[in-house]
Amino acid sequence: MRAVLKGSLRPKDNDSAYLLDVHRRGVPGRERMCRYQDSDEVDMLIVGCGAGGSVLAQRLARAGWRVVVLERGPFWDPDSDWVSDEEGSSHLYWNDKRIVGGSDPVAMGKNNSGHGVGGSMVHYAGYAPRFHPSDFDVKARDGVGADWPIGYWDLKPHFERVERELPVAGQDWPWGDPHRYPHSPHPIGGAAERAWAGARAHGIEMRVGPVAITNGVFGNRPHCIYRGFCLQGCKVNAKASPLVTHVPDAIEHGVEIRADAMAVRIEVDDAGRCTGVTYLRAGRERFQRAGAVAVCGYSIESPRLLLNSTSSGFPAGVGNNADQVGRYLMVQGAPQIAGRFPELLRMYKAPPPEVSSEHFYETDQARGFARGFSIQTVSPLPIGWAEHVLADGHRGAALREYMRDYNHWSVLGALCELLPQSENRVTLAGETDQFDMPIARFDYSQCDNDRANIAYAKQTMHDIWEAAGAQDVLSIDRYAHLVGGCRMGTNADASVIDQDHRVWGVPNLFVCDGSVMPTQGSANPALTIMALASRLGERLTAKRVTPQPGHRANAPLGARA
Amino acid sequence: MADEAKAGHLPNLRGTAAPADPYRLPRQRRGQTPQMHGRYPDYDVLDEIAEWDELTRGVVLGRLDDVPPRRFFTEPEWNALTAFCDVVLAQDSDPRIPVLAYIDEKLHVGRLDGFQYADMPDDRDTWRLVAQGLDEAAQAAGAASYESAPCEVRARIAGEFSDGKPRGDVWDELNVARAFAVVMRSVLAAFYSHPWAWNEIGFGGPAYPRGYARLGIDLGEAWEGGEALDVDPVSDVKDRGLE
Repeated sequence: MRAVLKGSLRPKDNDSAYLLDVHRRGVPGRERMCRYQDSDEVDMLIVGCGAGGSVLAQRLARAGWRVVVLERGPFWDPDSDWVSDEEGSSHLYWNDKRIVGGSDPVAMGKNNSGHGVGGSMVHYAGYAPRFHPSDFDVKARDGVGADWPIGYWDLKPHFERVERELPVAGQDWPWGDPHRYPHSPHPIGGAAERAWAGARAHGIEMRVGPVAITNGVFGNRPHCIYRGFCLQGCKVNAKASPLVTHVPDAIEHGVEIRADAMAVRIEVDDAGRCTGVTYLRAGRERFQRAGAVAVCGYSIESPRLLLNSTSSGFPAGVGNNADQVGRYLMVQGAPQIAGRFPELLRMYKAPPPEVSSEHFYETDQARGFARGFSIQTVSPLPIGWAEHVLADGHRGAALREYMRDYNHWSVLGALCELLPQSENRVTLAGETDQFDMPIARFDYSQCDNDRANIAYAKQTMHDIWEAAGAQDVLSIDRYAHLVGGCRMGTNADASVIDQDHRVWGVPNLFVCDGSVMPTQGSANPALTIMALASRLGERLTAKRVTPQPGHRANAPLGARA
Repeated sequence: MADEAKAGHLPNLRGTAAPADPYRLPRQRRGQTPQMHGRYPDYDVLDEIAEWDELTRGVVLGRLDDVPPRRFFTEPEWNALTAFCDVVLAQDSDPRIPVLAYIDEKLHVGRLDGFQYADMPDDRDTWRLVAQGLDEAAQAAGAASYESAPCEVRARIAGEFSDGKPRGDVWDELNVARAFAVVMRSVLAAFYSHPWAWNEIGFGGPAYPRGYARLGIDLGEAWEGGEALDVDPVSDVKDRGLE
């Protein structure tokens, strides 16, 4: 029955797609959005309006909580703020300086960091795979990484719920916990056809999707037009980001999203409870009172904010008395191998995320390393392709020759699960930014297991292209995604938050974003971050976690402007 | 020598031979490409501007109509870096895409990339040091400046820079290989965001709000350009007995 109804089921408790306007892409209703005073003690103050913060805000607002979200970037309007151009989209990224060090430093900015309402999901490719059940207990299974304090089955109902809200399109999924998707798979372009044929010839299964892009009309969101600019922000409203999937419903239920507000310090009183957040807006320092605070700033900014929030009880930063904040930060190894074919493939057409495989996701002792990787089509636009050609060692006339050959290439990327290590961490650098706040320094070094995993993934992609009959290959080493930095755990000495996202030692302070994840799997993290926020929202509203017992009797606050 | 069954124009397949001469390609008949050669001689992405949304059109056409003036670099820096950009992009004749002008503007307004390597200075300082280093390397080779050095010297210095080799007063302040990466990131972004480069490589451009309808192998939209000679370089090289 569900197969028959594919695409026609709407989420029960999220009207975002219907609250959008058919003729404009911006979020309607901002002019009548709820406004709170700094002196109002809101029920939950959220820092960061991305995958974690937006979903949490929407869930809490649906249950009647009074919620304010502080967002450092702008409240985007895709019609007037975004262009259909690669270089013209650089303002979508978090471009404030971060120092990157370690033996394998990680590029930031456009690679993995967003700002503005919608967060990094504004410019993610759109892949929305689930984690596998094995991702939650890799230490017990494989003796590496860490075990989560929760399991796949805790998140499964939320995976399903979020998949329906985005919605996710793809073929029936055979890997991990096998499942279906609410929208049918998209048609694929020539570049993906070649990649898939190669995989088949090499004995590897691939599937179309899973991508969070509407296939067919979804509420007032239109069908994808296959223009290929997913990484530059979707001007169509077909690709899911919280800006279109959760923010409209959140606003409708009384959330105030305060954009262009940079949180600089979480205030904690002498009793060890947090009282609100100090932030900068329009050059003025302000303080928003709150009964509880959720930090949703992702793996660099969340640790940075905690580390910068010192108090008598937390001299090294809130939640950092065991020196755990910022540690175990992970990135996925994301090497790409391109294959060349005689036909015109024109990989700039169709969304970059098209077909993927989780054939190598789980540990196989025969490969000689723990955990695995996934393989996906990536299809860079011209600047991305130029960086790929450069990385293969070509300059001048040779670089131009490969660039002219652009339309003959197809590109596969791997996502390798790199292991959490305590020295891969965020610290505060000596330098300060324009807000007078210390900038983040991120040190990253690979371990032997990481290098073996990446090398194996590259060889596999080479083999796929060879099986496909590619005439030439080009390769690039890179990283993708950020995960960890404020990981959840079962004990305060080895983690930052408990299984209900509560910072150890501060009963009304939560962290809810990609930084909480103890391991990263080989899946793109967006869906899992949203599912975690959905679960926390459910637990808070069902009072299975209470930030402040007895607090809800306050007089009503907030008013529609 | 390259295997005849492989795409013989691709540098990886040519062994130690120099890249194929780009002037073998047909001259652009419609619109412009850098140096007027390309694989899509009858394709001009600018024919499609009426199909683009107004905002995007403004940004793309701005690159053609409003080339920013020099504000960040000093004149000697500008001269050395212009010559360097020409070498690494093989822009050896007009028309050239004025890449350094776009980079100058980015550095002038402080639009940086969101990260700095721990063993490197700020990107803006990196650029100035690179300019200085290029001139010093040219002077060590007996020229007055990088710009006035002979063609082969400029190419050799750029090649050493890309391999992270140069040593000396200025270069020692930098992680040279990383400096090359920092510099090239901006050079490539400036070059391949220009519609002339899109003509050269046959890229469809903004495509909003029109989008694409024909996605498969060897399928093109009616307005997308066909490739030069309309043949595959593999069989072409073979048929013409070029290798």
